[in-house]
Amino acid sequence: MRAVAIAGIGGMRFGTYGDRSLRVLGEEACIKAIRDAGMTPRDIQQAYVGNLAQWEWGQGLLIGHYVLREIGLTKIPITRVENGCATGSNAFHEAWYRVATGGCDIALAFGVEQMTVASSEKILNVFTGRQHAERSGDMGNSAPGLFGLLARRHMEEFGTTREQMAMVAVKNRHYGSLNPEAQLTQAVTVEEVLKDRMICDPLTLPQCCPRGDGAAAVVLVAGKIAKKYTSTPVSVAASVQVSGTYPDTGSYTCFDTDVRAAAAAYRMAGLGPEDIDLAEVHDCFSVAEIVHYEDLGFCRKGEGGRFIEEGHSGPGGKIPVNTSGGLLSKGHVIGATGVSQIIELVRQLRRQAGRRQVEGARVALQHNGGGFIHTDTASCFIHILRK
Amino acid sequence: MSQGMKSRRFIDEGWFHDFGQGMSLTGGRCPACGQTYFPTKPVCPSCFNAEQQKIPLSGKGTLHTFARSHMGPSGIPTPFTIGFIDLREGIKLFSLLTQCEPWDKVLAVGMEMEMVIEPIRQDEEGNEIVGYKFRPSRGKSS
Repeated sequence: MRAVAIAGIGGMRFGTYGDRSLRVLGEEACIKAIRDAGMTPRDIQQAYVGNLAQWEWGQGLLIGHYVLREIGLTKIPITRVENGCATGSNAFHEAWYRVATGGCDIALAFGVEQMTVASSEKILNVFTGRQHAERSGDMGNSAPGLFGLLARRHMEEFGTTREQMAMVAVKNRHYGSLNPEAQLTQAVTVEEVLKDRMICDPLTLPQCCPRGDGAAAVVLVAGKIAKKYTSTPVSVAASVQVSGTYPDTGSYTCFDTDVRAAAAAYRMAGLGPEDIDLAEVHDCFSVAEIVHYEDLGFCRKGEGGRFIEEGHSGPGGKIPVNTSGGLLSKGHVIGATGVSQIIELVRQLRRQAGRRQVEGARVALQHNGGGFIHTDTASCFIHILRK
Repeated sequence: MSQGMKSRRFIDEGWFHDFGQGMSLTGGRCPACGQTYFPTKPVCPSCFNAEQQKIPLSGKGTLHTFARSHMGPSGIPTPFTIGFIDLREGIKLFSLLTQCEPWDKVLAVGMEMEMVIEPIRQDEEGNEIVGYKFRPSRGKSS
């Protein structure tokens, strides 16, 4: 594998953009990323786009071509990928793989999603599709349901408290209040989080990520030519994809996908969790972040509640987590989420993160889980970036 | 209220079967490696053996975890209670929980649970979709 670096990033504030098309959202992110890399579209040799669905119509046919044609990027191979909530990370991973294996020197990865155009009911139906053998969506399950169940088992087994879970939302909304690209920019307190509307007991509304519209893009280049385009290249030290095993046995307090992906990523980077300076992890629900601390090796199994309570994942902590504000502040804009996590880490490693800058950050980890089947995430991606 | 004939149907016809002692949940077992699963599979996911047996599942197990959902699919009135059940056969099942109010006093992780076959939701035409639910166990031990 060749060294690969990130030379350009293009983000935007996630929000409600029902008046703009999916295509227009994608254009904005791609133009920014290509400009940030000091390139023109002619420099891009291959492109991957992550888009889960065109929620109003169904599948997002040719969305990559529609977007890139408008900015003068034609002829090159353009591919759409889908992998549940990790769709954007899958696009990044494919672009990385192409460059790392010598298929091309410069690739664009972007993600785009427009979710506010669909009803909650429609989104629930898409997510709990009838392909699922146990049909648990028809049986009353949902994303908040799965994570409510996870929370209860974690409380029972390890003594994790409602307050500790609320603290995840408080921390991430604090970071979100410092990020101009976050959708929810108002900080909240533990009391406010606990008093808010119950979604799936024990999880209240601020502990469940909102959806939204938006896009995010990055330009990846072969390491050997990175300096030609940027004075602050960020290298991809590990890029890992795994899928779930959907276990029937064992405790529902662990994502086996996280554990396996983390082990592979640390091995690939020649690093361990002790080397990670900050991380963006998939905080679709507050309790998910607590479980990820454990499964990614930031603390031992069962100690995730204490990890947040003792401030290890907050400002000035051992491993600040979700300095972007996470999904809980930005919203989960599925196709764009994974790429936007990468963008935050690149900003941190470039020292461009403003008031949420993690001092001395050199190594950063991105984690994105995709979809849920039975008892497990369907896909999981981990990237380790270093300065 | 519409007086039209409302039907009842199983959520999935393959899930339930009368093996001689009333309706039970239908699992699959691989005669080659002994793996048991729900629902039945086209081949054994453990050893790829094509021949699969249909077996009645006990419908008894323990409550692995539970939650109270205030949102969900249309046709199931909110709030409702959900859980994962660890069946005796080593299968984890997502299920609606029933006959467990007040849920936050009655339910406890690890308690014995048993299956009941009941309507779980209504479709858009008001037809009843019948599936399985679990309730706190009433029997001694069987």
